[in-house]
Amino acid sequence: MVSYSFIEPRPKPLLSAFSKIWIVFILFVSTLLIAFGIFLLVKINSYKNSASMTKKNRIELEHKITQRDSYMEYLLRQKSLGEEIYTRNTLLKDSMKNLFDLVPDKITLDRVIIKKDSLIIYGMAPTKDTFNFLLSAPLKSIFSTSNTMFYLTKNGWYNFVSTNKITTTDGFSE
Amino acid sequence: MGSVSSMDKSLEKINYVKLLMFLFAFILITLLLITTLILPNIKKYRSARREYNQALVHKTRVQSVLTQRERELKQLKLKNRKIFDSFSHKFSSQEFVSFANQFFDKVTLKEIKQSKYTDEFKVYELNVTSSLKTPVEFYKFLNGLNHYQNIIQADFPIDLKSNGDMIYSLFKIKVYRLVPKKR
Repeated sequence: MVSYSFIEPRPKPLLSAFSKIWIVFILFVSTLLIAFGIFLLVKINSYKNSASMTKKNRIELEHKITQRDSYMEYLLRQKSLGEEIYTRNTLLKDSMKNLFDLVPDKITLDRVIIKKDSLIIYGMAPTKDTFNFLLSAPLKSIFSTSNTMFYLTKNGWYNFVSTNKITTTDGFSE
Repeated sequence: MGSVSSMDKSLEKINYVKLLMFLFAFILITLLLITTLILPNIKKYRSARREYNQALVHKTRVQSVLTQRERELKQLKLKNRKIFDSFSHKFSSQEFVSFANQFFDKVTLKEIKQSKYTDEFKVYELNVTSSLKTPVEFYKFLNGLNHYQNIIQADFPIDLKSNGDMIYSLFKIKVYRLVPKKR
C-alpha cells in the first residue's frame, strides 16, 4: 500500500456543520408549524363537538318549554273553569239576595222556583195593588215577560202566582 | 471527532450559494406549511368558534325562556293552589252532607248523572234536599261552596217552599272533577 499523502485520511462528514444547523432550524420551525396546525385541528374538532352538544341541549330545552307551555295551558283551563264556577255561585247568591230583598213585609212568599230563564213566585198579598206596586213593578223591570194570576182567599187576601221569564241568553242573573 | 470538526470550515467560510439555497428552502417549506396547514385551519377554527358561540347564545336565550316559564308556572300553581287541589280532590257524599249540615237541616243527596263536561273535566250532577230557617242560610251556603274542597256549582232549578217556620229546599249541584290523564 503506497501512501501519496503526508496526513492520515479522515472520513469526510456527509453534511457540513452549516448544513446541519440549517436543517435542524428548518425541521424545528416545520415542527412548530405542524404542531400549531394540529393544535388548530384539535380546537376545531372540540368547538364542533361543543356546538353540536349545545345544539342538542338547546333542542331538549325547547322541548321542555313546549311541555311546560302545554301544562300551563292545562292549568289555565282549570283556573278559568274554577273561577267561572265561583263567579256563578257568587252571582246566584247575589241574585237570590236581590230577589228576597225586593219582597216587602206585607207580601208573604209560599214558594219560589228559580230556573235558568224563569222565576215563579207563589205567595199571598193583602190586595192586588199591594202586589202590583210593591213587587210586580220591580219584577217587570228585570224580566222580559211577567204574568200574575190572583186567587181570592177566604180571609179576603189574594194568593198569587207570578211567572216571570227572561228571553236573553244570559238567563237568570239579576 | 475534534479533529473532524477542526477540519470543517463551513462556518468560517460561508458558502453563499448554499446559504441562499437553504434560505430559499426554508422560505418555501414555511410558506407551504402556512398556506396548506395553518391558514385554512385558522379560517375553519374561526368559523367553528363563531358557530359554537352562536349556539351558546341561542341556548342561553332558550334557557332563560325556560327559567321564565318555570317561574310563571310556579307562581300560577302557588296562586291557584286551592282550585287545582279542588279539581283533583275526590268527591265524597258524606263529607258534602256534613259540610251542608253546617247551614241546613236534614240534608239528603241523590246522584242524577255523570257526564263529560269537556275532554279534561267530568261533572257529577246531584240533587240536594234540605230544610233551612231563613234564606240567609242559603246565601251562607253559596259563599261556603266557593271554599269547599271540591269545585261545586249550585245550579238551577232551585225550589224553595215555605213549610211552617222552615223552608224546604230542592236544588241541583254540579261537581267538577278532572278526568285522569292517560300517560
